[in-house]
Amino acid sequence: MNTPEMERFLAKIYVDADARARFLAAPYVEAARAGLQEEQCRALEKIDRVGLEMAARSFGRKRERKRTRK
Amino acid sequence: MAGVGANNMTDRVGLGWRPELAAGIFAHLDKIEVIEVIADDYFDSASGARAIKTLAAQRPVALHGISLGLASTSPPQRKRLEKMARLVEKVRPESWSEHLAFVRAGDIEIGHLAAPPRSSSTIDGTAANLDRARATVGSLPLVENIATLIDPPASDLDEPAWLTKTLNASGSKLLLDLHNLYANSVNFGVRPGEFLARLPAHKIYQVHISGGKWIHDGDPPHQRLLDDHLHDPPDPVYDLLADLAERCPNPLTVILERDGSYPPMEHLLAQLNRARLALAKGRSAKAAA
Repeated sequence: MNTPEMERFLAKIYVDADARARFLAAPYVEAARAGLQEEQCRALEKIDRVGLEMAARSFGRKRERKRTRK
Repeated sequence: MAGVGANNMTDRVGLGWRPELAAGIFAHLDKIEVIEVIADDYFDSASGARAIKTLAAQRPVALHGISLGLASTSPPQRKRLEKMARLVEKVRPESWSEHLAFVRAGDIEIGHLAAPPRSSSTIDGTAANLDRARATVGSLPLVENIATLIDPPASDLDEPAWLTKTLNASGSKLLLDLHNLYANSVNFGVRPGEFLARLPAHKIYQVHISGGKWIHDGDPPHQRLLDDHLHDPPDPVYDLLADLAERCPNPLTVILERDGSYPPMEHLLAQLNRARLALAKGRSAKAAA
């Protein structure tokens, strides 16, 4: 199940290293704190942790490149 | 048809427009049948849009969007859709396309293309967004599969099923990025050929080819293939292109994407010829079947 709240949560952990660290330390708790549904919290407990870190770094490099192009 | 490997289908092979490649492209227009332009680079540049319109008078131009974020449960930003509409109206490209990605949520800009949860709710949101795009721009975009380093969480469909259902729900045609397909396949344990075979070939009209590099992370280390557009397409991408040409009933427009580490133009033209050969191989096999 996807919702705007779910996308917002994903976007947050993709771009915010502190939020990502809090999430990885306690995925269910952090997802529930963000108001996500039970089913979404359960799904986020099983997140692809290696992929999350790689994707976050890749997104960060893209944002940095855009900043330097402006 | 320019170059080698001409076949009876009206397949075309071209290159993504980048300012660094401009001189080489203009010097070799006879060998480049189509040019794809990143639309967002010209949203706020009237002179740039005029230049693209001039280019479109010399070669077929396709516009390619990167920031609408249509694969989402939230609607795209109206101002971006309107900018796309104005550019399409001015340039009159033969087609326009966007990615099946979300790129922002509220005020959070991810900075690149992110894979949404592959679920029925995302399909519904994407179909509604594509309808909004059609209403604003005047035509449906072709939609492109994206590469992802993370297996999108909260998904209850695999990627071929999600893509197929999204195409069916929206009526859009597919711009199939073969390196994205290849990267996601090797990263998440899918056979690339099986992935391709599960897609609706009759909905595929455009193709991207590009390259990437392996990156490493974690303890113990894991490796994944990053689609960076800085390297040549690897051999399996050309094999997939031949396979696609054998399966697909439509004429295909193939675009080579390169975003940096630019080699000499002759090197890129050789890659275009390799794509033509792959297309010809697939079409020959189709004709013989």
